[in-house]
Amino acid sequence: MSNEGDSEKHQPLDQNNLLYDKGTMRVVIFACISIVLAVMLTGSISYFVTQDAIVKKLKSQDMVYIIESIAAKIDGRVDRAKETSLILARDPVSIQWIASGETDNILGEYVKNKISNIAQDYDYANAFMVSGSTKNYWAEDSKLLHVMSESNPDDNWFFSALKVGKVVEINIDYDNERGGETFVFVNALLGDQKNPLGIAGVGLSLKDIAKDFQSYKFGEDSSLWLVDNQGKIQLSENIGQNGMYLNDFVPTTVVGQIIEDMAKEAVGGQFIEYADSKGKTMDLIYRTTKSKNWKVVFQMPRSESVGILNHIKWGVTIASLVSLLLIIFVFYFISNRIANPFKRAILLTQEMESKVNERTKELTDKNREIMDSIEYAQRIQESILPPVTSFTYVFTDFFIIWQPKDRVGGDFYWIRKIDESRSLIAVVDCTGHGVPGAFMTMAINSILDHIVAAFPDQPNQILSELNRQVKDTLHQKNSNQISDDGLDISICYVENKKRLLFAGAKMSLYVKRADQVYEIKGDRKSVGYRSSPEKIEFTNHEWMIEAGDAFYMTSDGYIDQNGGDNDYSFGRKRFIQTIADFGEIPMLEQRQAFEDLLIQYRGTELQRDDITVVGFSF
Amino acid sequence: METLYIEATKSTPEIQFDPGNNKISIKGQSYPENAFKFYEPVFVWMDAYLKQLEQEVVVELYFNMPYINTSSSKCMMMFLEKLDVAHQTGKKIMIRWYYDRENETALECAEEFKEDLTLPFEINPLGEEP
Repeated sequence: MSNEGDSEKHQPLDQNNLLYDKGTMRVVIFACISIVLAVMLTGSISYFVTQDAIVKKLKSQDMVYIIESIAAKIDGRVDRAKETSLILARDPVSIQWIASGETDNILGEYVKNKISNIAQDYDYANAFMVSGSTKNYWAEDSKLLHVMSESNPDDNWFFSALKVGKVVEINIDYDNERGGETFVFVNALLGDQKNPLGIAGVGLSLKDIAKDFQSYKFGEDSSLWLVDNQGKIQLSENIGQNGMYLNDFVPTTVVGQIIEDMAKEAVGGQFIEYADSKGKTMDLIYRTTKSKNWKVVFQMPRSESVGILNHIKWGVTIASLVSLLLIIFVFYFISNRIANPFKRAILLTQEMESKVNERTKELTDKNREIMDSIEYAQRIQESILPPVTSFTYVFTDFFIIWQPKDRVGGDFYWIRKIDESRSLIAVVDCTGHGVPGAFMTMAINSILDHIVAAFPDQPNQILSELNRQVKDTLHQKNSNQISDDGLDISICYVENKKRLLFAGAKMSLYVKRADQVYEIKGDRKSVGYRSSPEKIEFTNHEWMIEAGDAFYMTSDGYIDQNGGDNDYSFGRKRFIQTIADFGEIPMLEQRQAFEDLLIQYRGTELQRDDITVVGFSF
Repeated sequence: METLYIEATKSTPEIQFDPGNNKISIKGQSYPENAFKFYEPVFVWMDAYLKQLEQEVVVELYFNMPYINTSSSKCMMMFLEKLDVAHQTGKKIMIRWYYDRENETALECAEEFKEDLTLPFEINPLGEEP
C-alpha cells in the first residue's frame, strides 16, 4: 500500500453535506411552512367562524336578553308602583278621610300610617296623598309637605291629572322639595274617576333602578342607559352620566335613529351596528319601555364581545410554535436515527472504495509485472522463431501467420537449412497456449534442434525421436501426475526444390497443384503424450515438386476457430476452399486473404487457440 | 452413488451423470484453460461408477460436443478408454455421439475417437437419429 493511495482515499468528503443536503433542508423547510400554514389556516377559519357565531349570538341572544331584562325590570317596577298607588288610592279609609276634609284624626292617623308604611315596606322613595279639596300634600312620616297651589307651576301636574281623569299616570319629576332627585311618580286618582277626591301615589327614585343597571354591567366598556324622548340620559349604570345626553356618547345619527325609532323597533329590541369616532365597531341595541316612551339603550364594543377570541389567537400562535418545535425535533430525531445508518453506509462505502482502490492498484501492479514478464517472455519466444531471411533462402515465395491467442503461445514454426540443397521446415502445436504453451515450445524447439543432426533427411524418424525424448524429458518419471503434455507437428524435408518428404503427427500438409488441393494426412498419433507409446513409427509421404505447387502447413488454431452463424469451427473444408480460392496469388497477399477471412468468420468471437499457418512455394 | 452435474460455461460442456437411470451425457464445447483440472472429477466419478456397475446393466452415453480443443480431446480419449476397458471386461456400454451436419470438425473428431475404440460407437447427425 503506498502513501499515494492513502492520500487518495482521504478525499474531502463533507459528511454534513451528505447528511443535510439541500434537498433535505428544502423538505424540512417545506414541511415546516406547510404545517404552520395549515395550523394558521385552521386557526383563522375557527377564529372567523367563532367570531361570526359569537356576534350572531350577541345580536340574537345576549344583547336582546339584557335589554329585555332591563326593560322588564323597569316596567315591572313601574307596574308595581301602579298597583301600589291604586291600593293607596282605593283604600276606603283614605277615601273617607279625604272626603271628610282630613278632619277625622283617627282616620287621619290610619291614613298617614299607611302612607308611611307603603313607602317603607314596599321600598319606595316616597308615598303621598293630595286632597283635591284642601290641596294638602301628605307625604310619608305623617308630614304635610306642601299645599298645592294652582299658581305654582311645579304643582301643575296635580291639577292637570285631576282634570284629565286618568286612573293611573306616570310623571317624571325633578323634585325640589325632596332633595333634588329625579323621581318617577305614579299617580292614581282617589275616589271616583269622574269626580276624583284627590291623588295618591308613590315615587320611585331612579337611583334604585341604577343598582339594577350596574348588575347588568356586561363588560369594561359596555354602557346601559335609560333615555327619555329628548335624548337625555335619565339613568346610566355609570351614575356620573345621569343628566347628560346620549349625544355625548353616541353619534348624533345613531341617537336620531334611537329617538325617532326610524327602523321601527323589532320585537325584543332594535339592533344598530356602527363605527365610533375611533373606528371601533360598536354593537348597540335599544328597546322602548312599556310604561313610558323611554328607551333602554345598551351598547358594547365589538372588541370586547369577541375578546374571548384572543384566546384562540394565542392558541393558534402557540400551536404553530409547538408544531414547529415538534417538526424540528422530529427531523432532528429522524436524521439521527435514519441518517446515521446512511452515514455508516457512506463510511463503509468509502472504506470499501479505498480497499477496492488498494486492491485495484495491487492488481494493476501485479498485472503490470506479469505483463512485463510476459512481454519479456514474448521476446524470448520470438527469438527462437527463425528470422524471415532463413525462409527467403529456401523458398521463392512464402508467408507466415503466427498469432498466439495471448502474447505468447504453444505454437511455433521452425526451419533448418541442412545444406545448400536440403532444408527442413516444421509447424508445431504444443499442448496448451499462453505461458504453459510457451514453455513447451522452448523445450520442443531445443529438442528438435538436437535431433535434426541425427536424421536430417528422415522427417518420420525425427518425429519418432521427438516423441521419445519429449516423453523422457517431460513427465515419464512422474507417473502420478495427471497432466499429460505433448505436441502435434507437421514437418517437411525439401531436397533440391524437387522432392518433398512430409511426416505429420495429427497434422496435415496441404498442397495446391493446378486446380486441385490435396490434403496429405499425417499419422493420427501425437508426440510425447503419456498415452503415446514409447516407440511410434511415423510415415513419410513423398511429393515430387512441380512448378506452381503451393504448400500449406497449419496448426489447429485456424481450422478450429469458432464463428459464423452457428458458432462452429471454421473447418477443414473451408480451409481447403480458401487455398483453392487464393492459391494462385502472391503469398503475401494470400496471407492477407487468410487473415481477413478468419477475422470475418470469427466476428465478435475471441481467438480460440494459437494460430500458425505457413505457406510456401518454390 | 451421487448424481454428477456440472453446469455448462462458455468453454466447458454440461456434464450430467445420473447413476439412477444410468444416463450419462456430455453436451457443449470444451476448451478450458486447464482441461485436466476440469475433467479430473469426471474421471473420478466414472471410475467409481464403472467399479460398481453390474454386468447386465446397459449404459448409454450421449455426446454432443461441437468443439473439443487438443488438451480436452486428450482428456476425452482418456475418458473413453476407461469405458473401452470396462466394455472389454464385459460391461454393456454404448456410445451415441451426435453432431451437426454443418460442423464437419465435430464429425472428424468423433470418427477419430471411434477408430481407437472397440465398444459400440454410434455417430448420428443431430435430428436424424435412427
